Amino acid sequence: MNHRWWPGTIIATIIVASVSLGASAQVAGIPEGFTRIFNGKNADGWHWSRTVHHGTTAVAKVIDGVLTLEPHPYGQGGLLLTDKSYKDFELYLEARPDPGFNSGIFLRSTEGGSAYQIELVRPGNTGALLGEQLRITQPKYLGARTDINTVWKDGEWNSMRIRMVGQAPHLTLWINGTKMWEVETPTNDQIGGFYGGMIGLQLHWTSTYTAGAGGLSMGLPWLVQRFRNIAIKEIK
Amino acid sequence: MRGLLMTLAAPVLAAVALVAQAPTLTNSIGVDFVLIQPGSMIVGKFEPPVPKSADPRLEAMAKAAAQPGFPVTVTRAFYIGKYEVTQAQWKAVMKTNPAIFQGDRVTDDADRHPVENVTWDDAQAFIRRLNALEKTDVYRLPTEFEWEYAARAGEDADTPWAVIRERAVAGYNAFFSTQMVGSKKPNAWGLYDTQGNVWEWVQDFYNEKLFADPTPLRSGKVHVLKGGGFAADVKNAIPATHAAGPGSKFDVGFRIVRDVKP
Repeated sequence: MNHRWWPGTIIATIIVASVSLGASAQVAGIPEGFTRIFNGKNADGWHWSRTVHHGTTAVAKVIDGVLTLEPHPYGQGGLLLTDKSYKDFELYLEARPDPGFNSGIFLRSTEGGSAYQIELVRPGNTGALLGEQLRITQPKYLGARTDINTVWKDGEWNSMRIRMVGQAPHLTLWINGTKMWEVETPTNDQIGGFYGGMIGLQLHWTSTYTAGAGGLSMGLPWLVQRFRNIAIKEIK
Repeated sequence: MRGLLMTLAAPVLAAVALVAQAPTLTNSIGVDFVLIQPGSMIVGKFEPPVPKSADPRLEAMAKAAAQPGFPVTVTRAFYIGKYEVTQAQWKAVMKTNPAIFQGDRVTDDADRHPVENVTWDDAQAFIRRLNALEKTDVYRLPTEFEWEYAARAGEDADTPWAVIRERAVAGYNAFFSTQMVGSKKPNAWGLYDTQGNVWEWVQDFYNEKLFADPTPLRSGKVHVLKGGGFAADVKNAIPATHAAGPGSKFDVGFRIVRDVKP
């Protein structure tokens, strides 16, 4: 995909972003000092994983400045990855998943989808720190944790801000401006001891290719995931 | 009369051709091969199951998306690696070792782990040098259909997950490095690690679709990967999975084919 940012693209993005922000007053918008990594017009700078088990043929559409991710074909999800890798950063984005949609924000992901993950599913464990094809050593929570049900607004835009710093990462999550948790992890759990990786937006699979595998099928394949105002601040 | 003799002789000659080849062989650098006989399979069958007592819209959507697949016939016998190419075999040919999982990243014999962190072009370089070493031209990557035919080993349906777990170095949060080749059960034709351990390069270009087309592409941007690596899940560590590069590098390797010369 084309990575270049033409002036026309930037102008269009600003207009779209202003309209989008005006429609939902509860989210603060991209913080100062962050750089957009979704341009509001197309998926330049992102690509689908071709090896993740969730699927390899999902569809990314940009509708009114919103990145809309749809499973395709029936039951096959995917993982939309940044072309660029990051080590230490703060990530900001706004999400409006269909209730029942199983998704997640992948951090320091490999191409195949081994990553730290912030779970994103309602009703469910939204905001939980998980390992996807990666075993996270028991982290130490610093201070109190906030109940997701007190901050998340189903059917509306919700802002997520994630800070990830250090080879054994120190992670902090804010949702809609409220600090949800802060953890220290004792080790770097990335496979092979690598440090850094891509940002990924997950669409969990909902069906196998055939019933032969055991017929497991879950979720509703017409649900979609939506993101907007995705931006990052690298911490050098 | 002569026509009758030819008619009678044809199956006999075919049978001779089949038994004339050793069922297994080992080459100069210790690659073990298994002879794969010609045959047919269905590729690209997509019949996604729907949960019982589900919303009725699910069944209609699943039926609309279903594809019967298409028949593929492998017309010539070929030898294929019993295991993925190992680090020892790579070193014997290339005098280098690009693998991530060696040294203190493994706790056993890295030489017996599959080589990984190799591109499709790297795999081709290995094959060229191996052919040169043995002064032959019989070695190559399998085509996607040859690979899938050998990996299925006569199984037309997707493998049940319980069986995959017996065969595959793969599974959700189950493995975090390659394992020595042959650590799990083989498939019905005696091939190990066709599911899991490392993704395997095949000759074909990727068509950016869920499955291969009946006629492979003649050009493309990336090549197809098959079988899943150690960080794959039971959902995609199956012969039907039609994936593509670059993969995560540390779980991308290959196995080779040796042509049967007449």
